[in-house]
Amino acid sequence: MEKKKFFFKRSWRSIILLFSVFGPATITALADNDAGGVATYSIAGAKLGYPILFMLPILTLLLAITQEMGMRLTIITRRGLADLIREKEGVRAALFMFTALFIANVGTLVTEISAIKTTSQMFGIPEIPAVIFMVLLSFFVITRGSYKVTQNIMLFSSLIFFVYIFSAFKSNPDWGNALSNLIYPHGVNFTQTYMRDYLIIGLGVLGTTITPWGQFFISSFAYDKKIEKGKVNLSQLETYWGAFLTDFFSFFMIVATATTLFANGIELTSGEQAALAIEPFAGKLASILFAVGILNAGFMGLVVVSLTTAYAFAEFFGVSGSLDDSFEKSKTFYYLYGFQLVLALLIVVLSNFSLFQIAVVTQSINAVALPLVFYYLIKLTNDQKLMGEHKNNSFKKWFTSISAVVIVIASILTVLAYFVFE
Amino acid sequence: MAFVSEVLRKTITDIDGTYVGILEDLIARDIPEMIHPRVEAIQINCKGKMKIVPVLSAMSLFAPAIPLKFHIDDLPEFELDDVRDIYLARDVLDMQIIDTDGGRVVRVNDLQIIRVQGAIYVTNVDVGLNGIIRRTPAKKLANSLLELFKIKLKENFIAWDNVELLMHDQFMRLKVPKESLADLHPADIAEILSDLSKLETTQFLDALDVEQVADALEQVETDFQVSLIESMDDERAADVLEEMDPDEAADLLQELPEERSQLLVSLMQKSEADDVKLLLEFDDDTAGGIMTTEFATVPENVTAAQAINILRENASDLETLHYVYVTDELNHLLGVFSLKELLFASPKEKISDLMEPKVRQIRPDLDQDEVAKIITKYDLLAVPVVNQNDVIIGIVTADDALDKIIPTAWKKRLPKFYH
Repeated sequence: MEKKKFFFKRSWRSIILLFSVFGPATITALADNDAGGVATYSIAGAKLGYPILFMLPILTLLLAITQEMGMRLTIITRRGLADLIREKEGVRAALFMFTALFIANVGTLVTEISAIKTTSQMFGIPEIPAVIFMVLLSFFVITRGSYKVTQNIMLFSSLIFFVYIFSAFKSNPDWGNALSNLIYPHGVNFTQTYMRDYLIIGLGVLGTTITPWGQFFISSFAYDKKIEKGKVNLSQLETYWGAFLTDFFSFFMIVATATTLFANGIELTSGEQAALAIEPFAGKLASILFAVGILNAGFMGLVVVSLTTAYAFAEFFGVSGSLDDSFEKSKTFYYLYGFQLVLALLIVVLSNFSLFQIAVVTQSINAVALPLVFYYLIKLTNDQKLMGEHKNNSFKKWFTSISAVVIVIASILTVLAYFVFE
Repeated sequence: MAFVSEVLRKTITDIDGTYVGILEDLIARDIPEMIHPRVEAIQINCKGKMKIVPVLSAMSLFAPAIPLKFHIDDLPEFELDDVRDIYLARDVLDMQIIDTDGGRVVRVNDLQIIRVQGAIYVTNVDVGLNGIIRRTPAKKLANSLLELFKIKLKENFIAWDNVELLMHDQFMRLKVPKESLADLHPADIAEILSDLSKLETTQFLDALDVEQVADALEQVETDFQVSLIESMDDERAADVLEEMDPDEAADLLQELPEERSQLLVSLMQKSEADDVKLLLEFDDDTAGGIMTTEFATVPENVTAAQAINILRENASDLETLHYVYVTDELNHLLGVFSLKELLFASPKEKISDLMEPKVRQIRPDLDQDEVAKIITKYDLLAVPVVNQNDVIIGIVTADDALDKIIPTAWKKRLPKFYH
């Protein structure tokens, strides 16, 4: 008898299963290490040096709290974030939130595809066929892939982070300077141009560390993994650890790039220059290692982010949501899944921007969409009827609320910085 | 034809035109003899205070502002029936339901209501894009855009009698399973199961009878089977395993943790448990591992008419019945005949004359590739498995033999090729 395979759901579950092996602690760290992350942290280190490290402790706290909220919300209500927004806030809120998520995710997909373009440039392969091939390959991995394939992609892409850690040590950074910058920014000339860059790139760093898709992802993760209510405290600890791990990696990436590129005044525009940051460790292999690493990270992002859009859409609108269904049965779903990839592909092919030009912009779009996610997240986790005794405590509530307001202000200032103070 | 979304949030005034509140919800009641629930009451949000009044106290729900027939201080009370009453906006709109006709889980975008002889009934659930567009602020814009590009969205309705509400949290209830659930095809159940969360899965499985669950389990992959069995309590899991084909049950038991597997086998009825235990002894990729212990036998000394009676009595549950095997009292395999041969034999004919005494047979430790070769070479629908004493212990059917050999991709392309 022909058995139903549910390929699409399987590949989603296989990603989630993979994380369940490592525990939620690693989920954020691994899923965050997409190409957008590598590029943005590299730019931040190269252009701003150590002072950008000042953002990391605050980001870690915010990441920990918001991921924990999403996780707790799903464990207690046993529903995904998108499910809850639709059921509690209605169809308009769902449409609004989905539109924002869609735009942010297309932006992220643009970054991932640009990373693939960067690799093809570094290896001298024709760009357009290469990116189209990789996008098709991602579709193939999603529909036909196995747990093993997904696992290898993820594990391999985390290797590049360890390369950065070794490089950071071998490049002999000024550790005192780097560590004290975690507490207060200092050691550079805070000119007006520097401050403007700090604002713009800082927003990008925020948007690549804390992402809307990450919020929906962790909720799906908790939902599919069926964590029991009794384990809510344990998962809390694990999310905190995961947030720490994410920024632990970011720290070394910024230190490595700041020591090699910022100190020598190298403007980051190409993959070869970005590869200089890992040269202290990788030596002559640096370029190849960076090219392969960023390709792999980009590919992983392509798979995870495109799936997040599709799944959130299915949750929001309940359109029979699966690539396992025939084309006839879930046309809307297929159109949407294809549309986001084609759109991102077209932007990359037609715009001719490089990864390092586009990364900060696309990651900032993520940041701009964040307050909206936070709003629903805070509202839902403060709902006494929904959460019972697991309601937010007032520190979490106020910290995220104030952060949301700060992000809104920072977003407005950034837009002004782009257009007014150019 | 109207929609719940068009009625909600309308202003409500009393008989003098004084503002009362806005329409918060419609309350419909399940009436046993009717397919469609009837709207019985409306919930009014009076500046934060909720009031429920009978729907008959409103002059018309479809007027731009709804006038009541009473004075604001004199509103009639409505008595809620906790079991049969459904809040349409709170409990159904935007929630997930099971479409028992299509066999899928969908989200409710809107509800269609109609007025028949003064009463309002819920007829259809709108799960299409139109339902979403109707409820957006940019409705007009969206519609004119669609018109501009000459896109006509198909209506996507599910009739209310094909709707099963899902229990999502404390205030939703899974209603007494309707007949529609009992009518679901196992393949549809499998599809629905893959859409549900664990909590919902448990409730959904509880609402089905054991046989349905068993049939549905046979439709899904082993790892999914395992997760479903893990969510059932031991008694029910054992009942389900009894209903499954022994070879499927054995495959599934092999994937479970040793302890649970043994416990479940011990809870099963003896005859089914014995079949499963026998199958568990053989390797997955041998004839013994893929055979089923369900097959039909008759003794040698009966007539064709008697044989038909024996089969009627004993063989009604069999998954496949292409061949009937002839055995002695000790189950030694003596011969075989096909059902067709039996059908066309004269009623008085002796089975010993009808049967083919030379039976193509295999040992349980034969490699499955070899089994498939024998089956294709001799063009068989099933081949009997005998032990070293020539006692028949099972049969391997053609589809099970080929199932293990033909790559999945092939099977997808050639769906009608072998089954």
